[in-house]
Amino acid sequence: MQKMLFEDIYKTYWQKVFRICMGYVNDSNWAKDIAQDTFITVLQKLDTFRNEAQIGTWIFRIAVNNCLRQIEKTNRLPKTALTDNFVEPESINLEEKVILLYRFITELKEIDRIIISLELEDVKQAEIANIIGISEANVRVKIHRIKEILTLKFKENG
Amino acid sequence: MDSNIDFKNIWQQQNISQPNIEEILNKLKEYKNSSLRKLIIANILLITTSGFIIFIWYYYQPQFISTKVGIVLIIFAMVVYLFIYNKQFSIFKKIDNTLTISKYLQNLSALKRKQKFMQTTMIRVYFIMLSTGLGLYMYEYASRMTPLWAILAYAITFIWIGFNWFYITPATIKTQQLKLNEIIYKFKTINEQLEEKSNK
Repeated sequence: MQKMLFEDIYKTYWQKVFRICMGYVNDSNWAKDIAQDTFITVLQKLDTFRNEAQIGTWIFRIAVNNCLRQIEKTNRLPKTALTDNFVEPESINLEEKVILLYRFITELKEIDRIIISLELEDVKQAEIANIIGISEANVRVKIHRIKEILTLKFKENG
Repeated sequence: MDSNIDFKNIWQQQNISQPNIEEILNKLKEYKNSSLRKLIIANILLITTSGFIIFIWYYYQPQFISTKVGIVLIIFAMVVYLFIYNKQFSIFKKIDNTLTISKYLQNLSALKRKQKFMQTTMIRVYFIMLSTGLGLYMYEYASRMTPLWAILAYAITFIWIGFNWFYITPATIKTQQLKLNEIIYKFKTINEQLEEKSNK
């Protein structure tokens, strides 16, 4: 019964959780590890989940906390500077944009990475506030500022 | 500034094939097994050592009070060590990662401080008890040896203890402290990011 439920959760949230971790570390193997750990916790704690929060909020909290926990693995530093792969302005296709976006996000401060990842994952701002533990107004302003930074970075890179 | 870039669209292009659910279940099993194994090994090792020492007490019936005090101290040192070890082990399980980030960070920082205390103070306590215990325990047997052998036995034991005390322990503590301090500092900076009001 519970395994069935877990399978549904796993199917629905895998890509989302993976992307959030990816936004944090920008390394697909590493992100996959964190995502898997997240689902292990979900599996372990599913029966303690009370419906006081949405299941999505609950899962994202575990995911972002796991991301923060990566600080302890100091030997594994996020890949940020790949400055040698400059892209010609005209030739930016979608795939390259994806690479750039994730790279720019990983260059942000930790909390900002998490906020923007959740926002881009279509999590409501009230939920983001709930996941992080700051006010909704604060979330809104932060998102606005982060998007400005990202836009600027994209412009600088063509 | 216009921000017409469709970040959401770009963001969601990033996909990775979903690992089979069995992979998750296996990983969970592995986790449980490997951590359990470590715990069991440490406990068995120290419990058998203590058992052995108690057996010596029972079998050889030491005459001197110093021997008995020594044995008690050694066993006590091991209990302290086991306590620290088991505590460190369970401490991470207790931390709830379904909390909000800010609460989670607070808990983690508190935990790291606790860990720091255990790694420094408690390890030293363990060491002092162990060496004193050993020194006392040896006395009865050393007193039956010729003076030269007795001195040699003590010298070897204390060189070994000194090596641990002055070289190995400080080095281990230092690297662990460095790592812990770095982590505590990093948690602090992230916490500051949470507190910073958008300065606009």
